[in-house]
Amino acid sequence: MATDVHLFELDNPEFAHFVINTEPETVIHLQTVDRSALLGGRRAHDEAVVGAQALFGAIRRCESIRHVIARSHLCVYGMGPRNPSVVQEDDELTERRSRYAKDLQTVEEFLDAAAKVRTDIDFTVLRFAPIFGRRVDNPLSRYLRLPVVPTRLGYDPRMQLISGNDAVGALVHTIDNQVAGKFNIAAPGQLFLSRILRLGKRVAQPLPRRAYDVAVRGMERAHLYLPEHIKRLVHHGMYADTRKMSDVLGFVPEQNLRETVLDGYGILAPGVKTP
Amino acid sequence: MTLSSLTKEQLLKLARDHAIVGRSRMNKAQLIDALAEVTSGPSAAPPESDPATRRERFAARLGSFIDQSRTCNWRSVEGHPCGLPVVKEHNRCTLHGGLDGRDLAIPATGTLGFDTWPTLLRHVWLASYDIDPIGLDPVVAEMLWHLVNYLYFEYFRVEVEGVENIPTSGPVLLAANHGGAALPYDAAMLTLAVTNEMPIPRRPRIMATEFFNAAPTLSHLYRKIGGVYAARSDAEFLLREGKVVGVFPEGVRAFQKPFSQAYQVQRFGRGGFITMAERYRAPVVPVAIVGSDEVHPAMFSSAVLARLVRMIWPSQRVEEMAVYLNLIPLPIRWRIRFLSPIQPSHLGRDPDPLEMLERTEHVRSHIQENLNRMLEERGSAI
Repeated sequence: MATDVHLFELDNPEFAHFVINTEPETVIHLQTVDRSALLGGRRAHDEAVVGAQALFGAIRRCESIRHVIARSHLCVYGMGPRNPSVVQEDDELTERRSRYAKDLQTVEEFLDAAAKVRTDIDFTVLRFAPIFGRRVDNPLSRYLRLPVVPTRLGYDPRMQLISGNDAVGALVHTIDNQVAGKFNIAAPGQLFLSRILRLGKRVAQPLPRRAYDVAVRGMERAHLYLPEHIKRLVHHGMYADTRKMSDVLGFVPEQNLRETVLDGYGILAPGVKTP
Repeated sequence: MTLSSLTKEQLLKLARDHAIVGRSRMNKAQLIDALAEVTSGPSAAPPESDPATRRERFAARLGSFIDQSRTCNWRSVEGHPCGLPVVKEHNRCTLHGGLDGRDLAIPATGTLGFDTWPTLLRHVWLASYDIDPIGLDPVVAEMLWHLVNYLYFEYFRVEVEGVENIPTSGPVLLAANHGGAALPYDAAMLTLAVTNEMPIPRRPRIMATEFFNAAPTLSHLYRKIGGVYAARSDAEFLLREGKVVGVFPEGVRAFQKPFSQAYQVQRFGRGGFITMAERYRAPVVPVAIVGSDEVHPAMFSSAVLARLVRMIWPSQRVEEMAVYLNLIPLPIRWRIRFLSPIQPSHLGRDPDPLEMLERTEHVRSHIQENLNRMLEERGSAI
């Protein structure tokens, strides 16, 4: 199967016309990665929101489309003490959100608006947990792999992760099965940050707020930039209910959270099951 | 006089006297059943005995779930053995799948005590077990359970009646009266009354105000020992999973009331717990707790102090703050009575506002009645 690659500036309507003219059957919107470290906050926001606006505008007009998948992140729920301990897909929450989370919310709003107009299309949103794996290079993975990990004193967040393979698996599964809806995608299980670090034989160094901020600045100097939503995750933690993932979407990740962590730290060979 | 010899009109009159909900829709047989349930009342108080004997009975019951002769066959990836004894008729201990240790409060070693702490801390260090979605850590809960048992058996000498009213499986909602002024001792004692006295020690999850969720250290410790925050969706999550959920429907209002209003059950919010119980078919067990209001007798309530608290924690919604004198809780003799459960009415829909008010009022008056009776029966508070 041949793959064509076309490059567009996302904030240019030219790209929307390309989508309409190609007459696709399935559209997968993956450009929802936090690029604020690369582009700066304002530019990243423009690209994410204006790009999505153009894309969903095109989707509304394109007759051939049957299925739209958008990648999102668990941080759309916001993280903090005002959220319930277990968040569900349909919850409407008032917790504070980082800029990236607000952008994702906007993208999902565009999708919802398009879904109201085009009832013949199946719209799927996959809200992924942070990806962690031995070959994955993202801020959270780099942070978790530090030999001594600075954490917030007095906080032990609950965390969910997913391995790179399972994240791709979820996407492929969704393309094959065409189920509409919003789904939290995370490896089954739940662990505290302190336990994740112990499984990975890392030393957690709890620091009070001021010292923690200094440590975070130090990490930034060493090119480990923690985006706001990851900072909030390792501060407050969250748990998103994944039952809808297995019951409605029908996707079960190959690795549970413990295996994902051990595999990500290179302690467990891939495919080996924990007892 | 037996109930079956009465006419339906007489039965209806009796039902009205006992405030049985839904009486107008019942036929004669249902009325007799409902009345029999109410009039039988809570069982007689258990024979009083000293803390040592009670503790022995308690330890023997907990130990009876565990087979000390075999050890769990779990091994960590690096090959560390588990070393804990197995649950009877299983090959695993409570932490590694023998029973769900997050659902049932059975100590992993079969006993409670400081001597088990090194074994337990080893498992914390190995991160060998999974926590609950809400954050319950069975090992940390077990370690704290042992500590708070000193309060339960020796200091407050809690007497418990009517544990047989708590169903041994399926979702349950415990609705209790609140008091304490300083620390939520009643939440701890209610938890232990269920775990220490039930034949199958279920783990109640007590809902707390959001203040606890914002405080560092405390919030995470409270999660680990099985606490839940008063968010509707969390309670629904637990009830759907078939757990025991404990609520104090009066809220902070009752917790902060002055001593002059001790054991006067306050208004019950809007009664959201009734809707939840109805939606998930959970029986509501009213709980009357005597003791909580006297541990820290509050002299008066101060609005100024409350404003100060709100300045420090803006998330706290308290309007009045109780002022008490003693820093150490008074050694009050506590009594906890579980009343007969109110079954869900299987409406198939959410109860309408009036039904909800009727039912909350029924639960409230039921608790108040029993509190009054228990206070009369009780001799000295200490």
